[in-house]
Amino acid sequence: MKWIRDLSIRNKLLTGFMLVLLLLLGVIALAYTRISHINDFQRQLSRDFTQALDLTTVIRYEDSIRARQLEMLIADTSVEQKRRQQEIRESEQIIDKELENLRLLYQNEPHSLEKLQELELTHNQFKQVRETQVFPLIYAGKQDEAKPLIRGPQLERFEKIRDLAIPLQQEALRDADLTAQQSERIAEQAVQIFLTASLAALLACIMLTAVLNRIIANPLKTIADSATQIASGNLSTPSYVVEQADEVGRLSQAFNRMTIYLKETADAAERIAAGDLRVGVNPLSEGDLFGHAFARMIDNLKSTTAELMEGVNVLAAAASEILASTAQVASGVAETATAISQTTATVEEVKQAGLLSSQKARHVADSAQKANAVAQGGIQAVTAAIDGMGRVQDQVASVAQSIVTLSEQSQAIGEIIATVNDLAEQSNLLAVNASIEAAKAGEQGKGFTVVAQEIRSLAEQSKQATVQVRQILNDIQKANSAAVIATEQGTKTVTVGMRQSQEAGESIRLLGETVNVASQAAVQIAASSQQQLVGMDQMALAMENIKTASTQNVSSTRQTETAARNLHELGQKIKLLVERYQV
Amino acid sequence: MTANPSGYREPRQTIDWEQIHRRLTAVRNAIDGAAAPPPAILKKILKERAIALAREAKMETAGSAIDVLEFDLAYERYGFELTYIREVCPLVELTPLPGMPDFVLGIVNVRGRIVSVIDIRNFFDLPDKGLSDLNKIVILTSDTREFGVLTDRIICTRSLLTATLQESLPTLTDVRSQYLKGVTGERLIVLDGGKILRDEKLVVNVQPER
Repeated sequence: MKWIRDLSIRNKLLTGFMLVLLLLLGVIALAYTRISHINDFQRQLSRDFTQALDLTTVIRYEDSIRARQLEMLIADTSVEQKRRQQEIRESEQIIDKELENLRLLYQNEPHSLEKLQELELTHNQFKQVRETQVFPLIYAGKQDEAKPLIRGPQLERFEKIRDLAIPLQQEALRDADLTAQQSERIAEQAVQIFLTASLAALLACIMLTAVLNRIIANPLKTIADSATQIASGNLSTPSYVVEQADEVGRLSQAFNRMTIYLKETADAAERIAAGDLRVGVNPLSEGDLFGHAFARMIDNLKSTTAELMEGVNVLAAAASEILASTAQVASGVAETATAISQTTATVEEVKQAGLLSSQKARHVADSAQKANAVAQGGIQAVTAAIDGMGRVQDQVASVAQSIVTLSEQSQAIGEIIATVNDLAEQSNLLAVNASIEAAKAGEQGKGFTVVAQEIRSLAEQSKQATVQVRQILNDIQKANSAAVIATEQGTKTVTVGMRQSQEAGESIRLLGETVNVASQAAVQIAASSQQQLVGMDQMALAMENIKTASTQNVSSTRQTETAARNLHELGQKIKLLVERYQV
Repeated sequence: MTANPSGYREPRQTIDWEQIHRRLTAVRNAIDGAAAPPPAILKKILKERAIALAREAKMETAGSAIDVLEFDLAYERYGFELTYIREVCPLVELTPLPGMPDFVLGIVNVRGRIVSVIDIRNFFDLPDKGLSDLNKIVILTSDTREFGVLTDRIICTRSLLTATLQESLPTLTDVRSQYLKGVTGERLIVLDGGKILRDEKLVVNVQPER
């Protein structure tokens, strides 16, 4: 058995399968010979049955023909006869066809073929007589002549056909029976041979399976179990070496070496895990990917840890700065939120102001319309004033005329006064002369002196009166002059007033137009204010949204601050962790 | 035409036409009623006049008196005794005479009598003043002479108590002191008409030079 063990697994499997294949081929060859025998018997059987069947058919239709012939004989009408004749011809065709088949079937049996030819000959005579003699007689209505013909020679021929056909049929049936018995016997033999061969093959297979199982499957299962343990990470499997020169033996040895290598590597990894990066790993071969990778990993870990240390230091510092910055940002965001709140309030106030200005603009528009109406009234008033001033000018002219007349009359009065004054002067002189005369008269003139003095007193009073009148006239004259000047001034003033009134009218008209424009502008302002108000509403809404966003910002910033604090703590922790590594 | 800051003219004052109409009516009434003053006023005037006359009569009884004619000349008041005066008359149609001294103004015709007119302002160094129809002349007369003295205005005739007359003023010199009769407390300078009439300096006798 030692040589079987040392065969390679492929050769082992090939040997086993070849054995099984040989057994299988023997069984198949046997089966083929037996089945072809049975097949031959089957074909012979079929031919025999077909011969019997065809002969039966021929007999049957010959009977039918004879029956139809007799029916024709007794038929009353020619139509009936024709129909029978037709049927007879159809039957003849079938019989001809079957005879053709039989000729083919009896090719290899000369004895039987002779009989068949005789049968055929008789059939043809039967047919010919019928066609040439019987039918013309029947159609000619000579049933009495046809009847003996039918009963005589035709019956003999019919009987002869039957005598020929029936022995042939029975012989065919006998052959068929014999063939069936032979076939059955051969089939039984075949079954016995199959059973024996199959049992032998089965036994061989079982033995092969047992051998292969012992030298291949069992060691492989053990190794697979170990591999499963290793695959699940368990490296503490006992070493198992199969002392065979085949692949299984090599597999077990390689597997053992791999387990040892893995254990060593795991120890190294254990030390690395404990933070000792000073371990060295030597790759077993150029293609030791794992070893090379592990060595590189250690190198990389060393450099990475060094870089990580630096990075962690940087990270810790950065985290501190981020924490500080985040705190500043948090306070800034809080201030922003406050500012946004104030801005929202301001926007609300501005909105109120806009509302107020809108109302004011409407008021202004109303006022402007009123002012326009007032301006129209003012224009009418100015026109009336200009008319009035024209009348005043006329009246002032007449006043001036009156004053001139008055002045001239004053002059007449002055002349009269001069005359009166002259008279008073003369009266005075007269009185003085009278007193002188009275004084000359002495005591007698005393009374006259009184009269003279009385006259002089009157003259004096007259003179004083004239002086007063002149004074008054002077005053009147001055007043007249002043009145004339005033009147002239008044006329000029009225002219100026008229011009100014016209200018005022023009100004009021322009004012009215301006006010009209202002009114339209105020209406537009009111509309604009309304739009502005709507805009301010939207702005207020937007500010409200900003406020909400700002509040969210504040909370986000707090979260960020917390995160930065966590980051800072994390940096400190990582720093501690990294410092545990010994490079 | 000043406008106040508020832009419209303030009415200066409202003309009270009611008052003006009232005043005009009053004036018209006064003019109509001036011809015949109401009896009450007339009676009052007469009564005052009677009182004045009665007072003057009382004054006359006290001591000796002279009658003088007062007149204005060059803003001073002078007087002549009535005894030397013939009459007073207005200076009309004065005819200057050529070749006469400065104090002789000219001659006038008084109701058919030719009277020479002298200007005594030359004697008293009084300022000259233009002549007019209002100037009067006082015609002084004596047995021998008659001439007119120019005056600015005749005031009146009155009686003066001789006791009130003061003799002379020391300030007055030569000519004026010669013609002066006395000065009253009311600065009335009473001239001595007799002396003036007798003064030979006033006689003009000029022979035409050959």
